Amino acid sequence: MKSAIYIPMAFFTSALLLMEVLVRALDVPAYLLPPPSAIFAAFDLSLLRNLAVTLTEAFIGFALAGCAAFILALLFVRSPTLERGLFPIAITLKTTPLVAIAPLLVLWLGTGWMSKIMAAALISFFPVLVNTVKGLKAADAEYFELFRTLRASAWQEFAKLRIPYCLPYLASALKISSSLAIVGAIVGEFVGATQGLGYLIMVSSAHLETAVLFSAIFAAAAAGILLFNLLGWAERRLIFWQRFDAE
Amino acid sequence: MRLAALRNMTIALPEEAPPACIEVRDLGVRFGALSVIEKLSFVIRQHEFVSLLGPSGCGKSTLLRAVSGLIAATEGEVLIGGETLGKQAPSLRLGMMFQKPLLLPWRTTLENIVLPVEIELGGQTVSHNDLARARRLLSLVRLDGFEDAYPQQLSGGMQQRVALARALMADPDVLLLDEPFGALDEMTREALNEELLQVWRSADTRLKTIVMVTHSIQEAVSMSDRIFVFAARPARLLEALEVSLPHPRAPESVEFARCLGRVRRLVREQA
Ligand SMILES: Nc1ncnc2c1ncn2[C@@H]1O[C@H](COP(=O)(O)OP(=O)(O)OP(=O)(O)O)[C@@H](O)[C@H]1O
Ligand SMILES: [Mg+2]
Repeated sequence: MKSAIYIPMAFFTSALLLMEVLVRALDVPAYLLPPPSAIFAAFDLSLLRNLAVTLTEAFIGFALAGCAAFILALLFVRSPTLERGLFPIAITLKTTPLVAIAPLLVLWLGTGWMSKIMAAALISFFPVLVNTVKGLKAADAEYFELFRTLRASAWQEFAKLRIPYCLPYLASALKISSSLAIVGAIVGEFVGATQGLGYLIMVSSAHLETAVLFSAIFAAAAAGILLFNLLGWAERRLIFWQRFDAE
Repeated sequence: MRLAALRNMTIALPEEAPPACIEVRDLGVRFGALSVIEKLSFVIRQHEFVSLLGPSGCGKSTLLRAVSGLIAATEGEVLIGGETLGKQAPSLRLGMMFQKPLLLPWRTTLENIVLPVEIELGGQTVSHNDLARARRLLSLVRLDGFEDAYPQQLSGGMQQRVALARALMADPDVLLLDEPFGALDEMTREALNEELLQVWRSADTRLKTIVMVTHSIQEAVSMSDRIFVFAARPARLLEALEVSLPHPRAPESVEFARCLGRVRRLVREQA
């Protein structure tokens, strides 16, 4: 368990050290590839503030999308007509790249928070919708037969069978969506923003402040990994019955 | 003449058979092109214990599903307590134990057992009485000490026993059992057979009729009033054998052996 953390950490640190040595030895210009020490020197309060902005946007978008997708999934499962009507539209929207939609969002919602939240929500919506619909239908047909012989109402079937059965599906969707939400917020910031990691990346690359650029990239990656693992931890605690399956 | 007939009638009265509980009339079930049950008719009366014997895949589980209304009859009909199966709940309560345990993995043993009561109550919380009853059923199926275990921590046979306790928890009038003791060792099996017979006979429950699918001829003979022997697909009723031995039945007795032999021959003939 511990080695799952330490071994990658050791490799990562070695890679950074190697990079430091090589960059200095070969005299690579700092605007192309700064040494890791310079990158870490660029970790400052302003980076943290921009990170906080992006994370907040991503999180709000993620939470909104998660709730909306879950509710829509419930409706889909209750009403096949609704599912047949709306699912193709949802898939079409999903296959449209967010980068293509983001300018429209900024145009409509301005360069403030709203456009980023919407971008994050849009991109994290579909994994939750698709997986939840799948999970709500995933129980064996015989489980539904059992509930029918017990004369359970549709509501009871949801509360006592479909929703608990769906939780593992929902959890893996949330993990995927959490990373996507950060991507969404950053893409939104690329198009037009005055703060956030996306903004920092655009500005620093324009000014050839490559060390700052790298620090922003590292911060985005670290935030994604942190969120993913936080959700993974919550998943293992809440969905305990899956652990038995895996072992 | 007339007088004799009248006397016969009065004599016949107390011996009149109990009312029909399950009536299957010209039942046919097909899945697409596959005809699983054809022209099947029989009557099972109240207070009867009937076992279904037949080769694997002949349609026994399908028959139980049709009787419980889970699948619609393609032809013919099924009457429960004289009422056709439909949207409405029949006045006789049906309980079903499936071939698979079908326990909910996020519920403990006890929580799984009380599921039928929880569903019946709607939003109300399960009463202490019901919980106590669930605990009694738990020890009836020899699972004391496992009330807080999760299904994944139980063996296949233990899971089946939880499923049996859950089926009994629903307090049904008619219990349909699909190979309830298939995964059990001989000892536990016999003990549970005895417990089930006791529940069936006891006046504390409403349980009147049991239909049990089994692959064990010995089990069928030791428990049932009648044994239905089925031929392979499409399921036809080869014979409905009466087992008129008193309970408790001693497997060592001559009558038991004779009965066992009769069923064995029937089963072998069509194999
Ligand atoms: N939902 C279904 N769709 C299609 N075919 C089915 C379905 N359910 C059962 N069958 C078919 O019906 C036949 C009878 O199945 P059934 O499960 O009733 O057999 P069984 O007598 O209970 O067998 P076993 O003793 O092995 O449990 C099988 O050939 C099976 O393939
Ligand atoms: Mg079967």
